[in-house]
Amino acid sequence: MTVTRHGSATVEFPSDREALITRKFDASAELVFDVLTKPEHVSVWFTDGDEDLEVCEIDLRVGGEYRYVGVFDNGVRCSFHGTFLEIERPVRRVETWVFAGRPDVEAVETVELHEQDGVTTMTVLLAFKDQPSRDASPWTAADGVHAADGMQGSYDNLEDHVTALA
Amino acid sequence: MPTSEYNEPMARASAASDVFNAIAEAHRREILDALVAGERPVGELVDMLRLTQPQVSKHLRVLSDVGLVKCRAEGRRRLYRLDHENLRPLHDWLEKYEQYWNGRLDRLDDYLSDLQRKERM
Repeated sequence: MTVTRHGSATVEFPSDREALITRKFDASAELVFDVLTKPEHVSVWFTDGDEDLEVCEIDLRVGGEYRYVGVFDNGVRCSFHGTFLEIERPVRRVETWVFAGRPDVEAVETVELHEQDGVTTMTVLLAFKDQPSRDASPWTAADGVHAADGMQGSYDNLEDHVTALA
Repeated sequence: MPTSEYNEPMARASAASDVFNAIAEAHRREILDALVAGERPVGELVDMLRLTQPQVSKHLRVLSDVGLVKCRAEGRRRLYRLDHENLRPLHDWLEKYEQYWNGRLDRLDDYLSDLQRKERM
């Protein structure tokens, strides 16, 4: 069994409205960049066993758009999209990120790849418009099924609560 | 993803957001950082943060209200300490965030390994 880097992604919060995710890969920056931005690659790794990627469109140029639609085993759809703002293969990519279930939670995502000695360190900086958006985001992302399914109740509770306190 | 899997964390989220609000303010995070090392009197926190005593007291009150810090009197001094148990909602939330990213990035990692293995063959 080879040693893997599974579970090694770290999450930090550099400011009230940002989340920074860092992860290393044993591959060149070029390969990582392509695997992140070419539909033939993304469609293979992006989703888990119980989710199919029904739509995976990536128009990789400044001003171009991307759109992913995932379908879970139970028929629930989960989709997000955005527009590329900067592309500098293989080191940097900036795009907007909008989750269809929560269009108010828009972020600007900056992905940077730094290769050293065959290991590429990827950082993903998600800059939300405010703190409640950022704090709602793990639920919009991992738990998007609820919003997509019209099961907005728990979401709205969370949102109301966070907004009231902000 | 089964829907039921997320019911519990969703229910906890409301309680957790009080804690998020409390730590949304930079000075309050500094206070928590200062208390990680151990119990401190207000005066020390005032010196460390370079704020006025009323400002520090106001922040400590917010942190006390959500249960992140506890206070005890020692003579005329009031000593503040962290209450780790009430940091748990925050910890759970962070864990969920990390789980999401780790799941996705571990799949990317496996895929990269497969591609490179095929290239070498």
